[in-house]
Amino acid sequence: MPSAASEGDMRVIYRGAEADLLRGRWCGSDAVFKFRRPFIYRLKVLDDAIRRQRTAREAEMIHDAKRSGARTPLLYFVDPANALIVMQWVKGRRLKEAVSSLPPEGLERVFAELGGEVARLHASGIMHGDLTTSNVLLDNDDDKSNDKELTLIDFGLAIRTTRLEDRAVDLRLAKETLTGAHSEVASKAYAALLEGYGGEVGPGEVRDVTRQVAEIERRGRYARVE
Amino acid sequence: MGRSVVGIESTAHTFSVAVASIGGKILSDVREVYTPPEGSGIHPYLASLSHVKAAPRVLRDALLTSGVAQGDIDAVAYSMGPGLGPCLRVGAVVARSLALSLAKPIVPVNHAIGHIELGCLLTATEDPLVLLVSGGHSMVVAFSYGRWRVLGETLDLTLGQLLDQFGRHAGLSSPCGMQVEGAASKSSRFIPLPYTVKGNDVSFSGILTTAKKLLDGGEGFEDICFSIQETAFAMMVEVTERALAFTGKKEVMIVGGVAANRRLARMMELMTRRHSASFHVVPLRFSGDCGSQIAWTGHLAHSKGVTAPVEEALTRQSWRLDQVDVPWRD
Repeated sequence: MPSAASEGDMRVIYRGAEADLLRGRWCGSDAVFKFRRPFIYRLKVLDDAIRRQRTAREAEMIHDAKRSGARTPLLYFVDPANALIVMQWVKGRRLKEAVSSLPPEGLERVFAELGGEVARLHASGIMHGDLTTSNVLLDNDDDKSNDKELTLIDFGLAIRTTRLEDRAVDLRLAKETLTGAHSEVASKAYAALLEGYGGEVGPGEVRDVTRQVAEIERRGRYARVE
Repeated sequence: MGRSVVGIESTAHTFSVAVASIGGKILSDVREVYTPPEGSGIHPYLASLSHVKAAPRVLRDALLTSGVAQGDIDAVAYSMGPGLGPCLRVGAVVARSLALSLAKPIVPVNHAIGHIELGCLLTATEDPLVLLVSGGHSMVVAFSYGRWRVLGETLDLTLGQLLDQFGRHAGLSSPCGMQVEGAASKSSRFIPLPYTVKGNDVSFSGILTTAKKLLDGGEGFEDICFSIQETAFAMMVEVTERALAFTGKKEVMIVGGVAANRRLARMMELMTRRHSASFHVVPLRFSGDCGSQIAWTGHLAHSKGVTAPVEEALTRQSWRLDQVDVPWRD
């Protein structure tokens, strides 16, 4: 771990495809140290450029997303040259792990809430770029209260955009992840997500964006043209 | 020889017939590959003519060299799609004729699933995360709830098309993968190209456009080949790694024509090492299109009662693998 040191011990809490997450302390607060590892299979010059760019972008986008009202971690420290971000430690577990244990009504509520969150992000001109269930933290998962809170994380592929196409790409990835990894609840969860999305931006907008999702799917290789 | 299934493949440039035993032995696999003139791609009609000419010999050789008696044949399987219409129709006609003359059931097979199932057989993998990379496909798939599910794919060109179309622009003849790989191995000069990852999906069209411009602008062919491979392969491996971290699969397999590329396989191997997953590459001889993928998958499907009446044994040019029910896996 380069440059920034935690106060006290750090321990690895997650090894993702792209980054390692370590938990430690930063200026008296619980913190997560997100370090984008070098990819040994990638040419160094290319790898360095990508890690630097994504680190800087993630920090910018996490910050900007807050303006939309989305819950994202607070940033404590950013070091693009070393591909490191130190941010607030957020309680909760990944939606991916929670999906299978959620009761049907809980599932729909969570995905509707997620849809609303994504809609607000889009309305403020940000595309998340990696809307998988790994990148949503679910708080208050254990108790029975209704105020479940979602936190969006991993903005490394986010971009500033207002294009319909980009918003649709976001939703299509969510759909692809649901179908690919949560097949048993995919259609219910996706429908709830769209409902939450529509609740935020209105039925006209949700119609446009789902039409564009269908258009992207039609462009898919060997997709049947209906 | 025991019971066997005949498989007929004709989705694109290859016309092939193979015989596989139901125990998983490839008893014969005969192929004829149509090669387009230099600088041009597969012309579907010309490829189908080549298939028509090749079919009688390929079929006869495959049946004779397999050593299988007519009575041992359980079924005739063929590539129903996806692929080039004229080419697919040649395979379907041969399959229907053979099935009718032998009085055997016809088993339609999805070509992409054929690549995967043959890969699983030959690499002895059970439940792998699969990177399918060829002229027709560039996708990351895993089996879940009765179907092969797509976890990431190209949004435009496939890796095979990227290498072919750039190669053809440089005056080579399709398929160009091996020549591009050879040229790339002679350079280590990297020229930045668009690196486009969108979530779990990738886009190669920006690389192709930029690479063509670079070549027209006088950059070295070998340097561009090197840069294309380093950029495009890294993108593909990155989304595979994301899917691997996401699914937690314990096996990773690479199949399809581009699986023959050693640089791509090496990058995949380096990636999987970090995860506790084993890495498998389909043997070179069976990475590209072949009858074996159809014969073996045909057997798997036939064992679960998948057949088609003759009048429905047609072709489907557009037929995504995630639309196919797979009753032979749990």
